[in-house]
Amino acid sequence: MLKFALKNMLVRRARVVLVTLSIVLSASVALLAFNISQQVSEGIISTAGYYDMIIGPAGSSTQLAMNTMFFTDEPLGTISYEYVEELQASGRTNAVVPFTMGDSYNGTKIVGTSADYLEGKRLKSGEMFDEPFEAVIGSAVAERYGLKLGDSMVTSHGLTGTGHAHEGNPLTVVGILAKTGTAYDNVIFTSCETVWAVHDHGEEEHEDDDAEHTGGDAHAEDAALEGAAETAHGDDAEPEAPMSHAAAYSTASETGDAQAHGESEEEEHDHSHGDVCAILIKSKSFNDYYKLMEVYGANASLLCINPSTVLREVLEQVDLSTQIVYILCAIILLMNIVVISVITLLNMVDAQKEIALMRLIGISMRRIGQLYLIQNGIIGLISTLLALLLSHACLGLMSSFVASMGIVLNITAVYPLEWGIMALVFVLSVLPTMVRILSMSRKDSLNM
Amino acid sequence: MIETKNLRKHFTDESDLVYRDLTFEDGKSYVLLGASGCGKSTLLHMIAGVLTPTGGQILVNGRDMAAAPQREKDAFRIAKIGYIFQDFKLIDEMTVQDNIDVLKLEKVDVSRTDELLSQLGILKLKKRQVARLSGGERQRVAIARALVKQPEIILADEPTGNLNYAIGRTITEALLEAGRGKTLICVTHDERLCELFDVVVNMNEVTASAAKGGEQDA
Repeated sequence: MLKFALKNMLVRRARVVLVTLSIVLSASVALLAFNISQQVSEGIISTAGYYDMIIGPAGSSTQLAMNTMFFTDEPLGTISYEYVEELQASGRTNAVVPFTMGDSYNGTKIVGTSADYLEGKRLKSGEMFDEPFEAVIGSAVAERYGLKLGDSMVTSHGLTGTGHAHEGNPLTVVGILAKTGTAYDNVIFTSCETVWAVHDHGEEEHEDDDAEHTGGDAHAEDAALEGAAETAHGDDAEPEAPMSHAAAYSTASETGDAQAHGESEEEEHDHSHGDVCAILIKSKSFNDYYKLMEVYGANASLLCINPSTVLREVLEQVDLSTQIVYILCAIILLMNIVVISVITLLNMVDAQKEIALMRLIGISMRRIGQLYLIQNGIIGLISTLLALLLSHACLGLMSSFVASMGIVLNITAVYPLEWGIMALVFVLSVLPTMVRILSMSRKDSLNM
Repeated sequence: MIETKNLRKHFTDESDLVYRDLTFEDGKSYVLLGASGCGKSTLLHMIAGVLTPTGGQILVNGRDMAAAPQREKDAFRIAKIGYIFQDFKLIDEMTVQDNIDVLKLEKVDVSRTDELLSQLGILKLKKRQVARLSGGERQRVAIARALVKQPEIILADEPTGNLNYAIGRTITEALLEAGRGKTLICVTHDERLCELFDVVVNMNEVTASAAKGGEQDA
């Protein structure tokens, strides 16, 4: 039976290929639409999953989460590094990671943080930054600017790449991250100390410029940042004095140039005078989390958020979009059901002559049913598997589109509902055959 | 033995065919002669179980096959009947061998295929696609498929209808030779072939548009 079924399919290969292709295309669109919508939503949430708390200056919780998780938007402002030390000493945390952002290299954002921030990320070459002015760059940055280990980067003030250059304090590439397909590929990472030290120099240079250009404002591009900082601290000046850009970054200059250039090892690691844009925290337990939230949440100058909750809220706020996506998925699925049913039915109508012929020479409807069940079953099985492969290959191609959101599409991820869709496609590729054969079996062989 | 009793067929165009009672004895060859539309092919279809009569009986060794359920008719057709159709009923896209192998779906023994193809003079065409065969060659394939299962009854519906007389006679002789000892009922328009059969049935006198009865004339 199987041998004859395969032979019969082989002699009708053009029809079989066309039917298979139609089912594959229809089903893969449905699978792809569902899978990608699931992975994007889950990806956004899971990206924020490692840290359970982010502390930053008072302001927009969405901006804080998106800035620290996906490097989008601008920082809300700055808070004192003392909070980092306070949290580290609290005994309630497993990880406390400072986060600063304010400079750029040809428009590529530079994040000042600790090596912990890159935990879990693989280095393609080199090593993690350790000394001031060392930097680890994302794979796309290395590729875009042809940077390799040991190369220098002259950074500029502000996030747009149009600010004044920190020519006296170039960063040295000591490590290149392996490609992640996420926003990490497009960012330069260095230590907080480096950011502070660069700004010591930058501020001195800036002050010199100011002396020469009275009334000039080389930091105009930071107006938004300053505004945000002022908003964050305006009502609660006591713990966090309203901070201009200079205050945000140049307090380290009080320790002098020596700090930045490592003349004094002791001073070089003196964090107490720097500021950060945010602090990412992994608390030890739920109890610790709630305690920290209670303490720091009470400080009106600070904003304490749970990144997962914030991003979930963001997704809920765009619930309409999500619903539209799901409605579109449902419509696509419905269309595919119709298309696959019609294709299978047309295939059966085409095979009607053959069935009538077999019937006339004495082949029973039971055997004919089995034959077509095998044939359509093979087509259905191959089609659904190819549809799954095709949809996941498309996922791979589409991953670069969503990488900027910090989401890596897993091409091997298959959701239970996908199996459901595949089962439905398989049933649809077989069921019309059975219905048709059942209706034909009730007629005289000659009248089929 | 095949007996028909009070056989009647009503068609969707409201026409009716009423048959006189007929008897076909085992091992004999019969030829059904008659004008178009007199019910020759319809009779074969009803005996084969591919068309259900409106009334009457078709007794095969005493069992009324007209009243039998479809499954039994199917089993009867595959086991006992070799049917040769006027338009061959072959799967054009497949080879000669595949067209005979289709019977394997019903676990029919097709081991005599080569012997039959050789007897019919088409063994060398065994692997050829049916679509590439001539009309005469196709008819021989249809005969081989009908006879390979060694049926007790052979029904042939104008097996030479599309062929010229010379080829038609050769094929009819080959059919009679291959079906020797079986009950053979053959429909033809060509009276010149009648001499090859044991019994000639004039269907013009067997059927009527209304029940009138009559006698078998041979």
